Amino acid sequence: MGKDECKTMLDALNKVTACYRHLVIALGSTSDSQNLREELKRTRKKAQELAVANRTKLTSLLKDKSISKEDRAEYERLWVLFSSSMELLEVDMKRSLEIGQDFPLKVPTRHLIQTGMTGSTTTVAARAMSVQNMKYEADSNIDTADLRDLQCEISQVSQMMEEMEMKVQVAPWAVEAKQEAGAELKSNMSVGNSSVGVISICEEEPKEEEGGGSRDTGFASICAVVIFLVIVTVAVVLGYLVINMS
Amino acid sequence: MTIRNPLRDHGQRYRPRIACLKKAEKVLLEMQDLKTGVKSQPQRLVITTIPHAITGEDIIAWLADRFQVDTQEARSFGSMLVALGYIYPLQDHKRLVIKPDASLYRFQTPYFWPTQQWPVEDTDYAIYLAKRNIRKKGILEVHEQEHYNHLHKWMNHKWDFIVMQAKEQYRAAKERKKPDRVVFDCQERAYWVVHRPPPGTVSAMDYGLDRLIDPNADEAKTPDFYARIMIFTQQSIMRPRVKSSVSLGAVVKYCATYNNHDPFLSKCLPSNPWLTDDVTYWTLNMPYVEIPTKMRVERWTFSFAELLSDPRGRNDFRLFLKKEFSGENLAFWEGCEDLKWGEAATMREKAEHIYKTFLARGAPRWINIDGKTMEITVKGLKHPHRYVLDAAQTHIYMLMKKDSYGRYQKSPVFKETVKKAICPEEHHFTDAQLEQNAKKRRPSLSPIILRQMEQEQKAKMAANVDITQLCRFTTPVPHLAVYSGITDFPSANASPSLPFLAHSPACPSPISVALDSTSASERRVEAGEGEGEGNPAAQAPAGGNVSKSRMALSLHRLLKRGCTPATLFASLSPKCHSAAGTSSHIQPISPDQPSQALPRRIGNFFQIKVDIPPECRIYPIESEDEDEENRAASRGGVGAKEIICPWESLTPQNGTG
Repeated sequence: MGKDECKTMLDALNKVTACYRHLVIALGSTSDSQNLREELKRTRKKAQELAVANRTKLTSLLKDKSISKEDRAEYERLWVLFSSSMELLEVDMKRSLEIGQDFPLKVPTRHLIQTGMTGSTTTVAARAMSVQNMKYEADSNIDTADLRDLQCEISQVSQMMEEMEMKVQVAPWAVEAKQEAGAELKSNMSVGNSSVGVISICEEEPKEEEGGGSRDTGFASICAVVIFLVIVTVAVVLGYLVINMS
Repeated sequence: MTIRNPLRDHGQRYRPRIACLKKAEKVLLEMQDLKTGVKSQPQRLVITTIPHAITGEDIIAWLADRFQVDTQEARSFGSMLVALGYIYPLQDHKRLVIKPDASLYRFQTPYFWPTQQWPVEDTDYAIYLAKRNIRKKGILEVHEQEHYNHLHKWMNHKWDFIVMQAKEQYRAAKERKKPDRVVFDCQERAYWVVHRPPPGTVSAMDYGLDRLIDPNADEAKTPDFYARIMIFTQQSIMRPRVKSSVSLGAVVKYCATYNNHDPFLSKCLPSNPWLTDDVTYWTLNMPYVEIPTKMRVERWTFSFAELLSDPRGRNDFRLFLKKEFSGENLAFWEGCEDLKWGEAATMREKAEHIYKTFLARGAPRWINIDGKTMEITVKGLKHPHRYVLDAAQTHIYMLMKKDSYGRYQKSPVFKETVKKAICPEEHHFTDAQLEQNAKKRRPSLSPIILRQMEQEQKAKMAANVDITQLCRFTTPVPHLAVYSGITDFPSANASPSLPFLAHSPACPSPISVALDSTSASERRVEAGEGEGEGNPAAQAPAGGNVSKSRMALSLHRLLKRGCTPATLFASLSPKCHSAAGTSSHIQPISPDQPSQALPRRIGNFFQIKVDIPPECRIYPIESEDEDEENRAASRGGVGAKEIICPWESLTPQNGTG
């Protein structure tokens, strides 16, 4: 069905947008590298493909005058999802252009900001591209060469969005969301059928304040103390038995 | 949805006064140098170690060294970098200051820098809050929860997207290694502390209104640009100039006078609410507070404008004027202000009301302005606009300033106020108390409530108005809301036998003001009448008035005043003496003149006619008891003839030809 297809594609676009944002955040910092630039490029291309596909699908669905009112409302909702994703993507692309220009990799006098992030972003990019491992095969001057491509792509995206606004008459403020407040706490997905991630419990927050901090650290420490006591008790009991025996 | 067409985009998104951002970025880059930059050390957490943490003292030392300034200034500079969001603290993340000790900081990634062209979007904040909600399992801080609810209401159409994106971003973040995850969380949280500060945090992003054009960008040199420059220079040439010695003298005087009253330059008693979050200062200085502070009372002595602009000072001044029986000046001035600043819809009625109350002859609160100003005002009132009473208002303002203000400052009213004024003690808050105060911050009264309070005050004041200033031409008009009865009279016109008009509100005397046809001769006539009435006893009885002329006289008089036929005949009786003659010269008046309700305003519209419509609305003139000299006798009570404004069209009973 057209709707399910749309939803899957939107999910994919959403995922790629989120990953792209993570990658752009790492730009300019100490986890920046050639690989990162290549990852950015490939994620971007994927995002664009998905965007074009989504757009054609949704415009064809919305142009169809013979759909029912509920269907139309649903398509408008999907349209709002799509356009919000595109806005985010566009802003991130523009920012990556700017930061990329400010932080060229090959110039020795330009230092990367020591943000504390040192790891690589391979896994994020892999998630975006939906592959297991990323292979890097770009040239060494990707950071400058890519920027020109990036500029073209940004103008393409802007054009596309303008066209979208002109052609499709959807009032975004009239759309009602299906999710209520706090919906993100529920672990089932809203649109489509992607895999559900288990929200892990023991996320440690760096210790800054005495009073603050999450309950998780307290929980973990209580667990550790309990286990320690159990082991000590067992050791005492065994020792007592040994002494009794001998 | 953003507006994409740049021609129609009038959104204001450029932040003014943030030219420091580019400079701060340059400094940041210099700090990154491994050899000459700030020394970094690893931060040890329970499980992980994260590199690139810097201590506060290192940052301050580096800044002091680089810019060759002293430690205090380096510290302020460092605090500015933190407040802008380029460096964030790892401990105590809500206070955006640099502490000159071993507390740790870290650099912010360039994506989260506060650059000029990337405004902070609410969508991003909503996504961040949703992510935080997932992370904290529904337990957000109070201000975060408020923001969340607010955004959920106002961005409801995007909420699906926000939830989806939050979940995806959360999962994507988990793909990274543990230390990087921790750093990313810290970075994002620091970014939002700067751009959506929690209560008690001062961030440098509180910059005021956005502007339409980028103030840091160079302006294109179009013909418009040059046209603007030309207009500006032409106007500068035409500007009137003041000698610099004069203007500088004025500046020096102003600074010297207001130095102690400036909360930046000197202490603000009890404490500056913006610094200590304690609102005592504001409660003590409310507009209509009973007991003002000493500083406030001192300001009233600086200039008359200060006194009038402070509502409490104005009240005090009003009280003083009431005692001096010149309250109408201030009331008129306030009425003019109300006209100037009020709504356009009610302007006409306001102008008329002010005219009837203050300016017309026979007005209940007549003010004393010179003839020329009065002419200009009356002429302007034919086509009233906001500034029609400006000349009169200025005149009255100057009068009050030169005359009453000086006396006010020496008066017992003012001295009493000065004695009762309070001088609050200065607060000395400890750090813990300051934090308590910050937590207890609440929004102030809504402007709607303040407005209602103000209007209640005004209504109260209007109800209490005391019309004490009557000139001899004044007649009370019952329909005017301000009139509330007179208990005493100025002795200006006092002669006890002077037939004053009715005091009691129940029976006002007839008035008919015909200003259109007021001529100088009439004025003289009335002046003559008044004066004639002022000397009732002084004149020898007229004596040989021929009865015929007397009759004519009385007829004329009666017609002018308008009487019912009964009194007409009564007055024709020889025993009845009419009051001061209506002829155009001062007539000798018999001492035993009858107590008449003398309408001071004489309707000169009337021609001499014999028959008078019996439904004439004008009071019968009391004709008996010429010995009676009180004018306080009751009149029979038909409604009075109103003061007619000169621009109103003549009604049939006024004009008979």
